[in-house]
Amino acid sequence: MEKVKVMIVDDSKMSRVMLGESLKKTNFEVCAEAKNAAEAITLYAETQPAVVTMDMNLPDADGIECSKRIMAYDPNAKIVMISAMKDASLIARGRDVGISSFLQKPVSANDLIDTLLLLCQNKVSKGQILRESYVKPFVRALQGGLFDLVGLKAEMDLASDERRFLEVSGVAVIIGLTGDPVGRAVLMMDTETMKAFAALVAKKEAKDVPDEDASDTVEESANIIVGRGVSSINDVFKDKEMRITPPGTICGNSIRIASPRLTTYRITAKTEIGNIYLNVGFSEGE
Amino acid sequence: MDAKLVNPFVDAFESVMPQMGFPAPTRAKLYVQQKHAQGKGVSVIVGFTKQLRGNVVYNMSEDTAKFIASQMMMGMPVAEFDAMAQSAISEMSNMLTANAATNLTGLGLDVDISTPSLSIGEGLQVKISDAQFLTVDMDLAGHVVELDIAVEQV
Repeated sequence: MEKVKVMIVDDSKMSRVMLGESLKKTNFEVCAEAKNAAEAITLYAETQPAVVTMDMNLPDADGIECSKRIMAYDPNAKIVMISAMKDASLIARGRDVGISSFLQKPVSANDLIDTLLLLCQNKVSKGQILRESYVKPFVRALQGGLFDLVGLKAEMDLASDERRFLEVSGVAVIIGLTGDPVGRAVLMMDTETMKAFAALVAKKEAKDVPDEDASDTVEESANIIVGRGVSSINDVFKDKEMRITPPGTICGNSIRIASPRLTTYRITAKTEIGNIYLNVGFSEGE
Repeated sequence: MDAKLVNPFVDAFESVMPQMGFPAPTRAKLYVQQKHAQGKGVSVIVGFTKQLRGNVVYNMSEDTAKFIASQMMMGMPVAEFDAMAQSAISEMSNMLTANAATNLTGLGLDVDISTPSLSIGEGLQVKISDAQFLTVDMDLAGHVVELDIAVEQV
């Protein structure tokens, strides 16, 4: 797949290196690094990046002025402003020259990638945006949630899920996602893992935990984990408001769940008590 | 649990099903259940947010699901409850829920609905509430579709 070109404008070498590092292993490649506004304008014209990260403090002009000059050259330039201070007046001045994205230093790799992906929506496939921006937050939510809830360390895996059915003998907690995009998340584990998980929460032996308590524990945990995932999506995409529905919890042997016309991803957490799966699916739209 | 929230779902069922060529359904039974619905074979869960929170389940036997899918597909015989038939039942749940959502808007309630999740299996327990909820059995040409309505006004 063709890489998407990024130009970094920053007078600090450290910042340029950090931003460059964040983009390694992604679909973005740094095509130019500029130390000041004059270089930025020359390099923009030479390399034609798809997106620019712009520092506020430059030796020969401020980031707003530099962006203005780039916009004069290319009115469709996509620029994300990165500054130590993110105050209302800076954002207002940035908007005046046509900048819509602002990040504060230090920039986390996730925020940077999400923001760049959003800016370059036309250049990056929809599937990739879905995966990077809407599914990866659930990977982090599941991993972080399992650790915070019961101290479980998990090895994580993310794959697209083409199966017609999700299948489990145990418990499946279905939580709907409303807003844009609309979809649903399903947290699943087998009976043995469910009992062991509930035992960890209750600090009891697995055999002393009644089945209903065990599934209630998984249900509440699913609520917390999916809620975390949605919160972190809402943090990045401030214009969207995703919400979660109350859980529906299915218990039994050979549960099969089908969700026709969803693009789904399977997140696996491999833990010492067994695999815990979170399947996240989004509607493919009209 | 509020009985007035049941009607928008029953009305949706009574108006949408005949549009798809089914004879007029009738309300067979209304009763209260606790926490769980007992899966009849095919259960479709749809979640609600905004001014109404909760879940609604369209619960039916696999035979009934096949009967409905066949009718929806212009009488095409449905021997197996396959991907096509599942898609039809999902679509029906979508239409019923969207119609119910419109009825709820008429009551002044702004709601958002999730995508339907269709689960298949014998003897599954479906927990959709922490308390009581209302169930309506709808009779559709001798087949029973159970509507489990566990939504609360926020």
